Amino acid sequence: MSPRSDYDVLIIGGGVLGTAVAERLARTETRVGLVEAENDVAEHASKGNAGVAVSYYGAPGTLETQLINTSAPLWEEVCARLDVPYRRIGGVMVALDAAEAERLEHTHQEVLACGVAVQALDARQVLAREPLVTPHAVAGLLLPDEGIVDPMRLTAAYARLAATNGCDFRFAERVVGIERDSDEVLAVITPTSRLTARFIVNAAGVGAAGISRIAGGEPLVSRPRKGQYAVVDRAFGQRLSSIVFCTHLPDTKGTNVVPTTHGSVLLGPTAQDIEDPDDRATDAETIESVVDRAARLVPEVRDAYIMKTFAANRPAGDEQHRLRFDTKVPNLLHCTDRSAGVSISPAAADYTLGLLREAGLDAPDRPSAQRVLPPVPRLRTSEHPERLIAENPSSGMVVCACEQVSSAEIEAALTGPVPATSVEGVRKRTGAGYGRCQGSLCLAGISFMTAMNTGTDPATVMHTTRGTVGS
Amino acid sequence: MTTYLVVGAGPSGLGCAVALAQGTGARVVLIDRIPVTGGETGWDEPHVRQLTARAEAAGVALRLGALAVRWQDRRLLLISPMGVERLPGDHLFYAGGRRPATQADLGITGQRPAGVLPATVVEHLLTSGVALWQRPLIIGNDIWAAPLAAELRHRGSTVLGLGDADWADERFPDGRVEVLGTHRVEGVRVHTGADTVGITCDGIVLAADARPNRNVDGALFDDADGVTFVQSLTVVGAVERAADGAAVARAWIHSQGESA
Repeated sequence: MSPRSDYDVLIIGGGVLGTAVAERLARTETRVGLVEAENDVAEHASKGNAGVAVSYYGAPGTLETQLINTSAPLWEEVCARLDVPYRRIGGVMVALDAAEAERLEHTHQEVLACGVAVQALDARQVLAREPLVTPHAVAGLLLPDEGIVDPMRLTAAYARLAATNGCDFRFAERVVGIERDSDEVLAVITPTSRLTARFIVNAAGVGAAGISRIAGGEPLVSRPRKGQYAVVDRAFGQRLSSIVFCTHLPDTKGTNVVPTTHGSVLLGPTAQDIEDPDDRATDAETIESVVDRAARLVPEVRDAYIMKTFAANRPAGDEQHRLRFDTKVPNLLHCTDRSAGVSISPAAADYTLGLLREAGLDAPDRPSAQRVLPPVPRLRTSEHPERLIAENPSSGMVVCACEQVSSAEIEAALTGPVPATSVEGVRKRTGAGYGRCQGSLCLAGISFMTAMNTGTDPATVMHTTRGTVGS
Repeated sequence: MTTYLVVGAGPSGLGCAVALAQGTGARVVLIDRIPVTGGETGWDEPHVRQLTARAEAAGVALRLGALAVRWQDRRLLLISPMGVERLPGDHLFYAGGRRPATQADLGITGQRPAGVLPATVVEHLLTSGVALWQRPLIIGNDIWAAPLAAELRHRGSTVLGLGDADWADERFPDGRVEVLGTHRVEGVRVHTGADTVGITCDGIVLAADARPNRNVDGALFDDADGVTFVQSLTVVGAVERAADGAAVARAWIHSQGESA
């Protein structure tokens, strides 16, 4: 092990895959660091996705399917360990006509070939399983092992546990250059630092191709694929018991109706290949089509209250997943996935560690490493709020009334390893401001709490990770 | 003994509670999330002080500093730093005030940069001395718009408005708004039928179409069981809102008399 490197492994990208790998590596005898261009984890695709921890995603025999198969049974344990909401609620895939029923049968065979639990449903059984599905459904598939997870809490938790175990997080450091020594990467250059490492993990998502290019690696293709979503109120969400998927199209998975762990329901996503990764704009026509398509599956969403619309970009490219060393730069390991990053993350972290060990990283597990994040008491989901408040009166001081987020929860998000540094960072970790009034009552209070904890003036406190509330 | 619960101790809720206590023999409990009466009007407004004194004289029990969370099986779940309470009640009167329409309510599309805030938040930030924006665009013309325009102008901002915004320094045609800017708000496009107008601004205030503010599970919709909503969206002023709250209470008492 070269004693002169700053890190044994430096991860580029604080999305769900980068942080999952960081969390796994930090539990070994490895000096691990992570650089992130934004000033928080879980920006971009890890923030804007449907939060489905899938049991099935694509063809059998691929590495992605292998990682999903390995991850799927682990979710209860992983999320209990990381204090992340997860529910294995199952999914119903719905065919609306004879042509879709035929494609659904193809999917059925593919799911079976992947070795994943699945059951064919007739029209009556579809409605019995999920009464809110349209009566026009002609057939369905039940995927009982599909689950929902909070992808922002998951990413923030991976990061927090990684930092607890010694991973060095460097935020607002965009990689602007990579130094080479003959074939190998020697150092990563950011506007403020030169960071040497024995191995580089390229978990930059949409930016992965750019990282490979400046590292002199393979010409990868990664471009933003925009997905637009609409979020439906919890009052409707509490009536929906399963994820409702449309029949997969040949080229895209289509628009789905997905309950979230907050109780709300996501409609989406769409798929639109774009050029600018900062283009996260919604447009009226697409949002209308999202609601239309969702209403074909679950008609009542048309009259449900839409709290919010948003867009996010997932990485599309020439490879659906990419967990392997670069063919030109031997110490550069690519670690990206088109859109199943959340779903593969538990197994992908182990797999990545395996690849690094095979390549000569001496990283024995460290038995003293912390495996469990101490849970933050959450008022809304607590079975015994009395006890919570008796222990800490701040748990009874509700800041966000719509989502019932207490001042204790916000305080916890703003302190400790990898804390929130913006109002948006608080939302990602607690759900505060996410509800039906969209912060009309609580955003000022959250701004003040964020300003206090970050030592900033309320006018210049960060609203999103990139822009301030006022000034 | 019959118990009526009133959630929201602003002028509407105070007016409603006083009328219930005076018009029925029932026990009346008035609840608010903040530890003083007055709601958005403020505790030190003279009419609020007067109403509070009248409520106390009429025997209304004040339960302040507790958030109503759920109404179920004729019980109201309250959360406060003191603990959890389940208050039994025969009927709930909900006077939770109003909030501006959200971006989704208004069909606002485009980017989601920093610097788009609900009018209620802007009010709160300005009152606390937070400096906001050189060229804010106020979207909508509900109760918050004109006072905020005056306040922002007083602090040196050039205030922009859409349509009939007669309080604005610069006015633009009204239409469907698309937000521009990746980090901070840089401007908007307003789509008005065939035309599109570009506006440069550095902040956006949502001050359109007041909506009833509702966040008590079981008391969200107009047809909620055992709930009467005391949430006028148009009545302005403490005296007028108190009178409106009292009128809702009297109408309800009257309807009970008829159905009995």
